[in-house]
Amino acid sequence: MERSDIYILCIEDEQEVLDAVVRDLEKLEEQFPVETANSAEEAREVIEKLLDDGKKVGLILCDHILPGDNGVELLIELHKDERTHDSRKVLLTGQAGLDDTVRALNEARLHHYIPKPWTREELLEVAVNLLTDFVIEQEEDILPYMITLDAEKLSESIRTRRSISDE
Amino acid sequence: MKSGSSGLTTVQITGLFLGIFGLILPFLLPLGTLSFAGQIGLGIFLMAAIFWMFEPIPIYATSMLVIFLQILLLSAQGPMYMDAELPSGEPVELQENTWQIPTNALKDDNTVLVVTEPGKTEPVRVDVVERNGRHVIVHSEELSADQPIVTDTGHRLVNYQPNSYTDYLGTLANPIIILFLGGFMLAGASVKYNLDKNLTRYLLSPFGSKPRFIILGLMLVTAALSAFMSNTATAAMMVTVILPIIAQLEPGDRFKFGLALSVPIAANIGGITTPIGTPPNAIVIAALTDYGKSISFTDWIIVAAPLVIIMLLFAWWLLLVLFPPSVDRFKLDIKGKLNTKPKAIGLYVIFAATVLLWITENQHGIPSSMVAFLPVAALVTGSILNKNDIRNLPWDVLWLMAGGISLGIGMDKTGLAVWMISGFDWGAMGYITLILVFALVAVAMSNFLSNTVTATLMMPLVISLHTSGVMGDSFNLLVTGIVIAVACSLAMALPISTPPNAIAMSTGIIRTKDMARIGVIIGTVGVMLILAYAVFYWPLVTN
Repeated sequence: MERSDIYILCIEDEQEVLDAVVRDLEKLEEQFPVETANSAEEAREVIEKLLDDGKKVGLILCDHILPGDNGVELLIELHKDERTHDSRKVLLTGQAGLDDTVRALNEARLHHYIPKPWTREELLEVAVNLLTDFVIEQEEDILPYMITLDAEKLSESIRTRRSISDE
Repeated sequence: MKSGSSGLTTVQITGLFLGIFGLILPFLLPLGTLSFAGQIGLGIFLMAAIFWMFEPIPIYATSMLVIFLQILLLSAQGPMYMDAELPSGEPVELQENTWQIPTNALKDDNTVLVVTEPGKTEPVRVDVVERNGRHVIVHSEELSADQPIVTDTGHRLVNYQPNSYTDYLGTLANPIIILFLGGFMLAGASVKYNLDKNLTRYLLSPFGSKPRFIILGLMLVTAALSAFMSNTATAAMMVTVILPIIAQLEPGDRFKFGLALSVPIAANIGGITTPIGTPPNAIVIAALTDYGKSISFTDWIIVAAPLVIIMLLFAWWLLLVLFPPSVDRFKLDIKGKLNTKPKAIGLYVIFAATVLLWITENQHGIPSSMVAFLPVAALVTGSILNKNDIRNLPWDVLWLMAGGISLGIGMDKTGLAVWMISGFDWGAMGYITLILVFALVAVAMSNFLSNTVTATLMMPLVISLHTSGVMGDSFNLLVTGIVIAVACSLAMALPISTPPNAIAMSTGIIRTKDMARIGVIIGTVGVMLILAYAVFYWPLVTN
């Protein structure tokens, strides 16, 4: 499996929880390298570095309660930044109140909300779905992603978008 | 196919430099009888062939570059030929049959080029009597005082009458390209209104739930659709059909290999069936038409369908033998409902009318390319396709084919094609051996190259074997052309052989070695079958 330049970013202040998220995403990591951050501040640094290296942030999984700026604020900021505007954004939390959640939906166009505790299957399914959408939307050649992501959806997009033609 | 990320691989960079070198190479070598225009043509040919092989730029870009270089370097209006005039003058008769001519008028092989008509010359043998600086005294009985001779035999117009740049640009509106445009618009509309999926659902239902018949059904439907739509779009759609079936299988079940291979195999083979099935057909038909061997839509089907059916049945049998079904029955569940909105109904009517008019071309005699403008006009008139849909048509494929046709025109016009086949005793080969060799080379090449490119590179040879007459009376231009078209579509041993192969392989279900094994068997059997048809069947149905 070839490593793509699409990264998954997990932001969570509790190291144990962060480890659990990364472990659950293990199946994807070979193709979509996972980066982690413990705070919004660190997340910004990681993103800057990835973008400077010409990488893309495909999926952002973010806890709400973080030291400094909270998760929802960070996601709104990333949504406004055109470089991370298209990244798929997931709130992975137990503690976001209704107001924050509504803000995240309206202002960060949150793609998914996963309440804690989550199951590995659930997390993987969400990640695969969102990365599939990201790849269809952003990538020119989607064939390398058929094995790990949703092959049916990717084939369907080849049929309708005709990104590949007869030669 | 390469990833969307920027930056060229080492292979691509090598190809880029080799291609540029190829463009100038003919001017660095002594090429004997090849005209100056032929040298330009050869340079363009080498560059195009190398670019198509190494893909430093996309293959359609190479096609466009070919057309650009041709209008620039070969056309009558390009800077190279726009003010060019063939230098000629009458020989001076000193005594009877003794002439004084300029030194440059005498070629190395002691011939003089007599201008017979504008742009045409004929070599005349002379005996050199005396050379004195700028003039030569020669003896000849064939020269005459009122027939001009070429005074500079190295001139770029010698043996070359440049054609208008519009001939090269016009390839995009070649009737066969318009035929494809009609096909593309029908296919685009079918995808938009899910006609392809719904047809699949209806057509598959009679095949029941037994695995062996499901595979047969899948292959026949895939082939039937890819006869009218792009092989790639058909394969992509069929992958969405087979993935849920494969999900019903145990992880270690080998039957899934057969299922996943059946789709690209049938899509590749299905394209052979009609003129619009796949781009190599267009390259062959365009070249044949230029030499008065046009073939109607109906006749093409009569030629191709029997071979397609046998190949499909053989592939079906092969898949069942290699990957026998492990379960008794499957649930085949394709979601969807026939769209009955007015625009969709409009599409169904236009689709049916067009296909009907195409396949009955022999009965009514209206050329299929003219019929093709029915869907082109009707689909946009009825707003069934909108502006965005038009923009999303695979224009790259149309340009790829246009460039291929244009390259062929240039190779023929500059005398390059005939020059390339000279120096080899084709006549000694025999017609049947020639067919076999062409089929083998086409299958082998197109396993690695684009099918269209393979047809583009081979058709000029076929045409010049015809025009030069070196093969004698046994040579059948039409049949040889068909051999090339069919052989190009029977190459499917590698993931890179065709886009349907690439799609099937990328699902991760198939192993490369299975694809290679089946691909080689199909290629080999295909070549044998082509040979048999070329000898026994095609001469009967093409006159």
